[in-house]
Amino acid sequence: MSLQLRRISLNNFRKFREPLTIEGLGEGLNIIIEPNESGKSTILEALRAAFFVRHATKNQLAQSFAPYGEAVAPEIEVSFDIGADSWKIAKRFLKSPQVEVTGPQGRAQGEEAENRLQALLGFVKDSSQRGDPATYGALGMLWVPQAQALEVTAPGNIVRNSIQATLEAEVGTIVGGAAYERVRKRIDEQYELYWTPGGKAQSKGRWQAARDRDQQARQAAADATTRLDALEKSFGDLETARGRLKVLERELADETELEQRADLVQALEVAKAAAQILETRKAEHENFSTNLDRLEDLHAQHGAARAALMAASATFAAITANREQLTGQLEAGRTKVTEAKAALDQARNDRAAARQALVEGEGRVALRQRRAAIADARQRHTELLNLEQQLGDARIDAERLIPAEAVARLEANDRAIAEARAGVNAGATSIELIGDIADITIGGEPLTPNIPRTLTGETQIALGGGILVIRPPATAASAEASLAAVFERQALELAEWDVVDLAAARTRNDTARDAQGTVQLLESKIAGLTSAQPLLDLAAGPDALKLLVASLAPDSPTPDDDAISVDQLTRRLEETETAVVRAETMHDQAVKDLREIEDKDRPLAAEQAGAERDQTNASDRVAQIEGRPDFTGLADAIVKAREDAAQAAVKLAEAKRDATAHDVQVINRKIDTIDSRAKAGQTRRSDLEKDIARFEAIIESEGGKGLASVAAAAAEEADAATQALVRLDEEAATIKLLKDVLDEARAEAARTFVGPVAQRARVHVERLFPGAELNFDAELGLTSVTRSGLSEVCGTLSKGTQEQLAVLTRLAFADMLLEQGMPVSLILDDPLVYSDDGRLDLMTEILEEASQRMQVILLTCRDRAFRHLAATRVQL
Amino acid sequence: MRFLHTADWQLGKPFGRFDPEVRAALGEARFDAIDRIGEVAAAQRVGHVIVAGDIFDTEGPEDRVIVQAVSRMQRYPCRWWLLPGNHDYARNGGLWDRVRRKASDNIILLTDPSAQEIEAGVWLLPAPLIHRHHLDDPTELFDSMETPGAKLRIGLAHGSIRDFTARGETKNQIAPDRAKRSNLDYLALGDWHGTLKVDPSTWYAGTPETDSFQRDEPGHALMVELAPGGEPKVEPVRTGRYQWLLRDWMLQDASAFSAECDVLLSAIDPASTLLRLSLAGITGLADRVEILSRLDDDLRHRLRFLDVRSDDLVGRPGEQDLADLKVEGLLGIAAEKLTDTINARGTDAISARRAMERLFVEYHRGGQA
Repeated sequence: MSLQLRRISLNNFRKFREPLTIEGLGEGLNIIIEPNESGKSTILEALRAAFFVRHATKNQLAQSFAPYGEAVAPEIEVSFDIGADSWKIAKRFLKSPQVEVTGPQGRAQGEEAENRLQALLGFVKDSSQRGDPATYGALGMLWVPQAQALEVTAPGNIVRNSIQATLEAEVGTIVGGAAYERVRKRIDEQYELYWTPGGKAQSKGRWQAARDRDQQARQAAADATTRLDALEKSFGDLETARGRLKVLERELADETELEQRADLVQALEVAKAAAQILETRKAEHENFSTNLDRLEDLHAQHGAARAALMAASATFAAITANREQLTGQLEAGRTKVTEAKAALDQARNDRAAARQALVEGEGRVALRQRRAAIADARQRHTELLNLEQQLGDARIDAERLIPAEAVARLEANDRAIAEARAGVNAGATSIELIGDIADITIGGEPLTPNIPRTLTGETQIALGGGILVIRPPATAASAEASLAAVFERQALELAEWDVVDLAAARTRNDTARDAQGTVQLLESKIAGLTSAQPLLDLAAGPDALKLLVASLAPDSPTPDDDAISVDQLTRRLEETETAVVRAETMHDQAVKDLREIEDKDRPLAAEQAGAERDQTNASDRVAQIEGRPDFTGLADAIVKAREDAAQAAVKLAEAKRDATAHDVQVINRKIDTIDSRAKAGQTRRSDLEKDIARFEAIIESEGGKGLASVAAAAAEEADAATQALVRLDEEAATIKLLKDVLDEARAEAARTFVGPVAQRARVHVERLFPGAELNFDAELGLTSVTRSGLSEVCGTLSKGTQEQLAVLTRLAFADMLLEQGMPVSLILDDPLVYSDDGRLDLMTEILEEASQRMQVILLTCRDRAFRHLAATRVQL
Repeated sequence: MRFLHTADWQLGKPFGRFDPEVRAALGEARFDAIDRIGEVAAAQRVGHVIVAGDIFDTEGPEDRVIVQAVSRMQRYPCRWWLLPGNHDYARNGGLWDRVRRKASDNIILLTDPSAQEIEAGVWLLPAPLIHRHHLDDPTELFDSMETPGAKLRIGLAHGSIRDFTARGETKNQIAPDRAKRSNLDYLALGDWHGTLKVDPSTWYAGTPETDSFQRDEPGHALMVELAPGGEPKVEPVRTGRYQWLLRDWMLQDASAFSAECDVLLSAIDPASTLLRLSLAGITGLADRVEILSRLDDDLRHRLRFLDVRSDDLVGRPGEQDLADLKVEGLLGIAAEKLTDTINARGTDAISARRAMERLFVEYHRGGQA
């Protein structure tokens, strides 16, 4: 039956901060027209909130209901009819949330109200954060927000389940679902015993236990077999040891070796005797040989001694003759050396005398030179004193030089005097009286005739009786005063320098300058005069000279008796030295000559001595040999000794043969071998007996454990475990196969479910796309459309087509739910915006028809597109 | 002169493939067989029990096994002549040395091939095995054994007669005409677990307590009576407790199975019966499920032991079976798929058949629940 919305009222919901009420919604088609952005999507959101969002939830979705930035309580009221029953929901979110549902059973609040709504409309509690339309049930799919309009989504579980009954009824084969579920549940339970949900073998439970048992049993069997094998090996080892022992015992019991040993011992005795004889024969042979050797040696020695004696005598004679020749030369040489030595000594004495004479002559020369130097020094000293006197005078003159600035001052003053005088003269009155000047006084003084006089001040000239007062201008007087000042200054200056006037000063300065030159001249003279005299150890400078002169004794005249000059003495020395050299050379030559002769003589003397000694030795040796007792009859003795030695050699050879035939060492070695073999056999026997005892002990201790039984039992247990495991493997495989088959069967059945949906959708689709076939998947999602044999996957279709298909499949589901008796209504938010005019007309037609069966509400901003439809219109 | 001929006691056999309680019962029964032989000997006043080898299952049994064996034999006045066989061959320091340390006077270990005069003029010629396998005929030594003043010569050996080569056994072979060749009045043989008469003087006693599914007969010992110059009189005496039955049943439906079951149960003592049952034939799936559930729910509990081989019992889903499932929608689809796999006879066919069977089992179980 249709769900009829009657009235929607909201307050403080999203952009509706003021209360908004939509009333007058009628059965069939309703069109709510409003411009963009005025909140039609919000109205749908509010409807979903009123029905599906729990009042007490604080999830993100609920938080988004409050108008932006306001902490108020969003409120929604919805009135609707289902069949003949009227319902009303009043919900408030966030602040003091509450819900009240009023229906035919009366009023309910809180949880009960929510539960009543759920039961009525068939949805489930949404526990997501952002709101999950899949939990909203049928209306969640049929109330299509703008954003989802394009999606050709599969219906959620709830919808599928709720239409399943319809589908199963129609499909016909889908009966006995209960039996399936029962079997399925059992198989699933058994499946879980063997397999994980991911299809892997369970790591616990009976299958794993069987695997563990199998593995453990195999391990136990292997262990038991290993132990048994070890025991069996001990048995084998024991048998081997026993066998070896038996063989060994047989060998040890064998008499052959003993007999061999006895024979060997006997042979050893024989061999020892032979060895003894050999030793004796060796000694005899040795004895004879030694005797023969000795005699032959004596004979040979005698011969050699005689020969040596003869040779030594000959040598001595020859050397003696040689030496006699040399003796004369030697004497001459020695005399010559003696003479040369005397001459050399004489020459050396002469040279010493000449040297002495020269030294003395040179001493005299030096004394004379010194004396001359002293006289010279005295002379220079006298001159020095004179020069120093002059220098002192010159220095005094030079020091009277008036400094240049003083001279300049004097000159300045002189000029100032001249200038002042000129000033006086200029201002002064010059008078001259010519003629008789008697009686004429001037200033009371007689006047000198013909001499002009200058007046500078008031002057009274008595002329006769009268007095002529001349008054020169006043300037004259001041000029005179300044002149007087200048004079005074000049006078002071002159007095300071002790000169009468400027000229005198200049003269003095000239003199002083000359004196300065004289000083320098004298100083250089003195320096030249007082040069250094090394002979007297005199340094340069006047002071040294004065000091020297002061230290000298008064001059005493010395006789100059030098008869022979130094040169002569020198020449004499050179002559003596030449004589010495010559004498030395003569002497050296003489010595050399003598040495040569001696060198020749010395080896001869040595040879002579040696030859003499050899001669003596040889004759001694001959005498010694001939003096020996066995010398007499030596030749016969030698012949006999040879015969004896030959016989001994023959006997020795025989003895050697005998000894070799009976080698003691070889026999001993053989005996040792036999002995050690016997000993090794004993040791081996003892070892084997120990081994046997050990193996027997092992067998006795291990044998009692029943290892063979244990191994056999373990092997059978392992087989049994493997068989049990195989059975469980089969069981697990069977269960798995059965489960897979059941899954496949369900999937196959699910495919048959979609037929009816496609059929219903096709009624509408046929009108839009004639001949098109819709393909749904097992989840009832529309996957593709087949048109004229070509299959198109949904996502590749045009947006318009997708939207139209989405609306049409929803309509198909709505129809099926309607048949189911579910309360259904269809709300489309701004639908069909991508549709062209033709399709739009068809779609609106289909929607109009649908509105005959259920309430259809279109929320749109496009009044014109739907203007032609007969519908309840609500203008916001 | 009378004596008991037995062999192949196989004491200490582990029976490791069985559940622990079955295992214990079977093991114990082998010791009990000694008592039964001893009791027969005592009752029949027979002085000698001749055991032709394989007294012990292995050459290295646990001490308990030896002590049990020895102590059981000691209870009876007769003399026990024990011959080492291939399972318990004689070797230095081995099993028989251990037994000898524990044995009493009435137990004689024949570990050497030398004739024994067990009674005046009655000589026992043993051919003990000293290896697991002998390439030579161990009984050839009989010819070199001295039996002075013998009225009766009894050979004792363990191994197979050459005629058995069909079974591929070539070890420890004994000439089939050994009795005649070595002038024996009787040749007591062991190794073959069933009672077998080779010729009038040559017998296999078989095991006194059966230990495998080779034959249905329970174990026996042989009562032998000898007289010089005469043919031996040989009488089997039952000594075995358990019957090991092998059964192959061809079945068409569950009722045939019921009939077979009834026949079987009427003939046996279920508590001392071990059954290996091979089922073959083609039945409806429902029948197969019924048969198997009866086996599991009923017969298995009655018997001492049951081993069912049912791979050859093909459960074909009948039309009714499939029709039943078909109305169950999804289950019908699954059954169809499995049937297709089975009919394709691919490698998955066997698994698919099992799965199909399981589907039916679960479906019916659900129906009953």
